[in-house]
Amino acid sequence: MNAPTMRILIVDDEPLARERLASLIRELAVGEVVGEAGNGIEALTAVAAHGPDLVLLDIRMPGMDGLEAAQHLAHYEPPPAVIFTTAFGDYALEAFEASAVDYLLKPIRKERLLQGLQRARVLSRGALDILKERTGPTRARTHLSAPVGGSLRLVPVDEVLYFQADQKYVTVVWTGGELVIEEPLKTLEAEFGERFLRIHRNALVSLSRVEVLARDGVGGLAVKLRGTEKRLPVSRRLSGQVRKCLKSMRKAEEGLPADA
Amino acid sequence: MRLPAARATDRLFIPNFCTVRPVFVLVLMAELLAIVLTLSTATDVNASFYDLALKSLFIQWVTLCCAAVLCASRTFYSRLSEARVAMVAYLSMLGITWLLSELAWWTLDYLSNSMPLGAASRGGVLARNLAIASIVIGIALRYMYVHHHWERRIESESEARLQALQARIRPHFFFNCMNTIASLTRSHPMQAEKAVEDLADLFRASLLPVRERVTLGGELELCRQYLRIEALRLQDRLAIDWQMDELPADALVPVLSIQPLIENAIYHGIEPLPQGGVTRIRGQRDGYLLTVVIENPKPADGRRSSRASHGFAQENVGQRMQAFHGESGGLAVEDLGDQYRATLSFAYERADDADPHR
Repeated sequence: MNAPTMRILIVDDEPLARERLASLIRELAVGEVVGEAGNGIEALTAVAAHGPDLVLLDIRMPGMDGLEAAQHLAHYEPPPAVIFTTAFGDYALEAFEASAVDYLLKPIRKERLLQGLQRARVLSRGALDILKERTGPTRARTHLSAPVGGSLRLVPVDEVLYFQADQKYVTVVWTGGELVIEEPLKTLEAEFGERFLRIHRNALVSLSRVEVLARDGVGGLAVKLRGTEKRLPVSRRLSGQVRKCLKSMRKAEEGLPADA
Repeated sequence: MRLPAARATDRLFIPNFCTVRPVFVLVLMAELLAIVLTLSTATDVNASFYDLALKSLFIQWVTLCCAAVLCASRTFYSRLSEARVAMVAYLSMLGITWLLSELAWWTLDYLSNSMPLGAASRGGVLARNLAIASIVIGIALRYMYVHHHWERRIESESEARLQALQARIRPHFFFNCMNTIASLTRSHPMQAEKAVEDLADLFRASLLPVRERVTLGGELELCRQYLRIEALRLQDRLAIDWQMDELPADALVPVLSIQPLIENAIYHGIEPLPQGGVTRIRGQRDGYLLTVVIENPKPADGRRSSRASHGFAQENVGQRMQAFHGESGGLAVEDLGDQYRATLSFAYERADDADPHR
């Protein structure tokens, strides 16, 4: 890995921070900077375009942050190695210690950068899980991703209509189409439970997209979502909960807007 | 929207009688009451001890029952307003006294023919007990109330002091700033020099005592220095619409009263937006009333809250504004969906005339 040909991508929302890293790497002569990106989504595109060996990933970035970008990066084949860069106060450093993921504190020292580059490695699933867990359960992803062909397809969670599970896979239906992902509904529900509602053993719908809850003509209930003609059946077992949840949501909408 | 309220929990002024300490104190107080009551009618020693025993027994019964009820209804109380809590607690304790008085009267009446309560009628005993109880319970509740609020005040004062110290410079800002300067030192030494000077001025201001007042001109200069540093970091993502000419530069304001609001706007509004946005900073003058309005775009709601609440700096600024300017000083914030607006208002006061209203 530490051959002088190491291909490095720098991701930071501050141009000057990128500039400094680039010049440090030039001086160290252990690799070449093949690209730069200003946020998580740009980073994913840049990784697809340049196929770097290593990504220096800032954590706090607008749009998609570094922690989420790292999770999506793990889908690439082969995934690049990742080193996080962070200023104090961004996220619990304890999470990095716990997951044994390497991170560099800003302002980054040259010696420390060299050390990091020399032992850079791919993030393991386990490390990613620990990171996710330790950085707080409230941090739901902004995007879902799945490898399609040689690159990564991203779906903004805001645009998802519903998730539907069949035997083995989960299909994400969103305003821009459909995508098959390899995540069980259960973990999706745990992560996005605030914005999605389980209406059936095999379906999770976006609360903000629910248009109406109506009888389906054969004695059951079905949910009609805005943006699709399809009606999704509500299971008998969950119908009580679904009704209650939608009712309380309506009430909240009519009432005062929530505090900032 | 008002400023964030104090913590919702733990606001009940009645101590937690599910724990040992308050109950112990209560029992002790009850015993003192029994002694006082006995002393007030004491004639000879032997009879007094008998009297004290009987009174203690009764009062402790009432006390422990009250404590039990207060403990059990704690969660219920936490949903009521303070006035209601006081009323409900007061009436329920009077009820307990009444019930136990009845019980005591009938028990004693049944047990002895010698009428230990004297020749008093049942009605007389009940009336007397309830009268004493209504006064004592009233005093006790009042004491709990005053004590609770006194403790709360001490707590929030020391908390505010601590926050004032911490809220001045965000570590995130500081370290990123250092990183920026490290970068500039290589490529643009002149800009690095300027950034160090600006940062030093900001730090100097943050080290001034919280009660220090500066001229509006000085405070706005600090804001511009702060914005220069942020512009280095955020570059073209940061756009500022600065319209402050209407305000008199010699007006007095608490030090760091406007800068933290601008910092909030950038930290919560501009930084999380990939394309950035325009922060509007407007000054308005209406006679002696001055207002500064800071408006910034912000990410849509429903985003995770990885950035801690605005409350910190806002509360701090709002409190200090009120402390300095009384009624006329204050901070109002509005969440307009994709925009956020903070309005700071205060009276025009100058250093050389303390009262410009004349």
